[in-house]
Amino acid sequence: MSLIALTLAAPLVAAGLIAAFGRLAAALALGAAALGALASLGLLAGAAQPQTAVLTLPGLPGYPLILQAAPINALLSALVSVVAGFVLIYAVGYMRGDPQKSRFFATMLVFVAAMQALVLAGDWITLLAAWELIGFSSYLLIGFWHERKEVPAAAARAFIYTRSADLGLYIAVFILIGAAGSSRIDAALDVTGMPAVLAAFGLLAAAAGKSAQVPMQDWLQRAMAGPTPVSALLHSATLVAAGAILLIRAAPMLPPSGLVAVGVVGGVTTVIGGLMALAERDLKRLLAASTSSQYGLMLVAVGAGVPIAAVLHLVAHAVIKSTLFLGAGVFQHDQSSTAMDRLKGAGRARPRIFAGFAVAALALAGIPPLAGFFSKDAVIAASLSAPGFWWLAPFALAGTLLTGAYMARALKVLWGSEAPVAKEAGSALWMGAGFGGLAVLAATLGFSFGGIERLLASEIATGVLAPLLGLGFALTGLALGWAFAAEALLGRLHGWASAGFEVAGGMDAMILAPTLRLAHLCNGLDRRLYSAALGAARRTDRLGVLGQRSDSEAIDRSISVLVRRTIAAGGTVRRLQSGLIHRQLALTVLGIALLLALLLTARLIS
Amino acid sequence: MASLPLLTLATFLPLLGGLLLMAFAGRSTRAAHMISVATTGLVLMITLGIWERGTLPGAFAQVEEVTWIPSIDAAFRLGVDGLSLPLILLTAVLFFLAAIYSMRLSDRAPTFVVLLLMLETAALGTFAALDGLLFYVFFEVSLVSMYFMITGWGHEDRQRAGLMFFLYTLLGSLPLLLAILGLYIASGTFDMRAWIDAPPLAGLGAMLALAAMLFTFAVKIPSFPVHTWLPAAHVEAPTVGSVILAGVMLKFGTYGLIRFALQMTPEAFAKAGTLILIFGVLSAVYGALVALAQSDLKRMVAYTSVNHMGYVIMGVAVAGMTMDSNMRAVALDGATLQMVSHGLVTGALFFLVGMLYERAGTREMGDFGGLLGRLPWLGWAYILSAFASLGLPGLAHFPAEFQIFLATLNIQPWATLAIVAIAITAGLYLRSIASVFLGTPRDRWAAMADLDGQERLVIIALLVMIAAIGLAPGILLDVIHATTAAM
Repeated sequence: MSLIALTLAAPLVAAGLIAAFGRLAAALALGAAALGALASLGLLAGAAQPQTAVLTLPGLPGYPLILQAAPINALLSALVSVVAGFVLIYAVGYMRGDPQKSRFFATMLVFVAAMQALVLAGDWITLLAAWELIGFSSYLLIGFWHERKEVPAAAARAFIYTRSADLGLYIAVFILIGAAGSSRIDAALDVTGMPAVLAAFGLLAAAAGKSAQVPMQDWLQRAMAGPTPVSALLHSATLVAAGAILLIRAAPMLPPSGLVAVGVVGGVTTVIGGLMALAERDLKRLLAASTSSQYGLMLVAVGAGVPIAAVLHLVAHAVIKSTLFLGAGVFQHDQSSTAMDRLKGAGRARPRIFAGFAVAALALAGIPPLAGFFSKDAVIAASLSAPGFWWLAPFALAGTLLTGAYMARALKVLWGSEAPVAKEAGSALWMGAGFGGLAVLAATLGFSFGGIERLLASEIATGVLAPLLGLGFALTGLALGWAFAAEALLGRLHGWASAGFEVAGGMDAMILAPTLRLAHLCNGLDRRLYSAALGAARRTDRLGVLGQRSDSEAIDRSISVLVRRTIAAGGTVRRLQSGLIHRQLALTVLGIALLLALLLTARLIS
Repeated sequence: MASLPLLTLATFLPLLGGLLLMAFAGRSTRAAHMISVATTGLVLMITLGIWERGTLPGAFAQVEEVTWIPSIDAAFRLGVDGLSLPLILLTAVLFFLAAIYSMRLSDRAPTFVVLLLMLETAALGTFAALDGLLFYVFFEVSLVSMYFMITGWGHEDRQRAGLMFFLYTLLGSLPLLLAILGLYIASGTFDMRAWIDAPPLAGLGAMLALAAMLFTFAVKIPSFPVHTWLPAAHVEAPTVGSVILAGVMLKFGTYGLIRFALQMTPEAFAKAGTLILIFGVLSAVYGALVALAQSDLKRMVAYTSVNHMGYVIMGVAVAGMTMDSNMRAVALDGATLQMVSHGLVTGALFFLVGMLYERAGTREMGDFGGLLGRLPWLGWAYILSAFASLGLPGLAHFPAEFQIFLATLNIQPWATLAIVAIAITAGLYLRSIASVFLGTPRDRWAAMADLDGQERLVIIALLVMIAAIGLAPGILLDVIHATTAAM
């Protein structure tokens, strides 16, 4: 069995076992996660070899399904399995005592398998299928507590928003398969001209939907209804990451106009997401807005034509953001809330968790030698090296500044004056182990970036200017966020930022409501069509009474009469039982005889 | 064994079962259901045998021919190719499951069973017929059984719905008869193979015949704007009636669209292609929009049929308009697979909505809420079927719709705008899941029981097939593609 198959099969088989037997859910999930992680680390170890591991499955005629472990696939696969592994360890403690935990672990494993299929995809159909499947499993996970009032709407919103954007991916894939004559992603990278431009915009739309980029930034914040481990996984290496991964994979074929569009969307989102995070009054929603902002930075790197910088920031962000969410989950459990007002001093009550949270926060802000420092430098260097540096670099630096400001604000709140009492949260051992593992990665992963660059055969020279600028803006941001309140920093923007920079009522007012109105309009039209047809049918019926009978109407008439009698007869069911069939058969025979007579006449005439 | 006429056996075995029932076991409900399940089960096994025997590329296989009316060269001719074989399998599967599900029926069961069995003969005959006259007879006979099912076992407003159904589809099918006569007069035979190999009509004659066929099949499929009989018929029809109507009988229309309109008047079809495509796009988008506006679950599922059949029309239309044989095969593969997928998925949805209605006596979404915790079997089966219907990969509709849209974009790019229906369908199914199965449970349904063994059997069988086609579409596409690649 190849390692690629094992990467997917381990979580799927375990999910099947859990669903079938409902026992040992946590143990099976951890075992599968460990096995899957070993397999994907094996893929990573073998990725440097010139011979790429490939698994081909029969798909549609002429379009087989391909899974491959080229360096980028193997790297992302390892990232997914490692982050998912630590989140699952945390979840063993977090979900202890939840009566539905079998369902939780089974769905998480399906989700991980779908994400592995996405990162290992070597053809568009596999990628598209996995893309939709992660949307489906995240729907199930966000909707996990489905009996709570606000949960169904949150889950449905996440799925419908992302699926509407997915139409862009569908169209791009159809264009690329048609233009390249093959469904292989490699083959599509050679597409040029108009098809490449159209496909680029389709891919960008899909990526913007999944990665919560402008103008589809607001579903992510509302998708906080699921359990904490779900948020930690969705926001780091999986669901939201899919958008950036798509653009990284497609980067070589993006035409100049596509690159500009990617850069603009990413740049605007990194600023808007950062402002939203700064204005936020809820810790989890702050982290969600921050996710949009950080993915915006990755898009800036792709737009600058340096996808390797986006890869590095994706890796760093994955371990950092999952750490932050898992930490926030502990504070949430302690204070039964994620509102910043209620979390004042929550960090003091749990100094060790707070330490890990702070390391991750500083890493995200870009403080050396933590992971985010190196990846953010890479993004800034990328933006400086691009032909459009004069507009890309300001976006990257503004994003960096805002990251420092909102992370400082979160840390200040958590380290607030009074220290409330910590509750015994789930099983502290498991939760601590999962959280701790990720926090260590958030601190140290930056030292592996040289290896990643060599593996992907794409090195970036950061120079001196980028680290200096990055560090300067990060420190300034941290200082501003610590020293001033959000209202003071944002001024008049504060209200708009709190509302998620909603324009003209947002997507709901601009797309959802008109669609519903159109649906009801069509429904009204349909009722009118029905009445019209019924009226016509009645008239035809009357014509039959008048004796203008064609052979078919004669059959119809007799049947109507027969049925009326059937109904009238009501009680005498028994007699009708046989009568009905005989008469009906007789009618059928009669009808066929008439048809034959007609045909014979036709034959004689001709 | 090799010489057994399996197609004839499969086609007439249900009729034979019905006659046996009338002759010997007239009034026993138990006997009726036993005969029903045994017959449809046997038919299913025979059709698996037909599958095993396989098809031929570019020709009909397993042809069985018996002289009938030599003076007009009408004969009893049956055969299969990659287009009809999947539909024959679908028919056998759905009738078998319908027979199992109707075992709970006690009201005039023998009559119901006879109608069901007659309908199976008509359906199998329609797909297997290779003679124009024979095709028409089977096509028409199916109406009779369905009419009585709706009026005899339907709900409140069944008379009106039955009338609509009958007038629409019977009057609708008269033009087809004219077209068949036209083909006959031009060729001197009723052999459909001859009509396909050398289309006998050309010019105006072909265009008139095509128009006649299109009208008939548009009503049957049904396409916007002649679809209004469908939701009315579904809402009033009994559960099994809806399953067969949507699962099998709508495919008469799409099958005819390929077999007759596309194959027998190809030049006229290519000329009218844009118009046909427009109706396909309209049906797909309009069906989805109207479905979104429904609050009655069964009406909603009924309108999604208009949407899904719209995709089939699109696939056939673009196939008829292109010279690129590769893309044509992709389009027809998708259209044919979509018919099977829709049969299984919509069959499952109608079964589930019927099961819910039997328990609750209502189908209004707003009356429910939070049922998932109480009825996990029903809830999860509905969620999976709904996601299958909205085109989730790994389930049956995805490969079919993917191929249809892939071909559409590369043949007539503008028609790809129908893809918005995919997002609308997602919205309407998620809304139905949220309002019926999620949220706070209501005390009113506290005593509702989950699916029993028989119901689970039916649903699991369908879901397994839906997943099998989604994960390994090759099991059907290999057969389909061998035929479409030669078209």
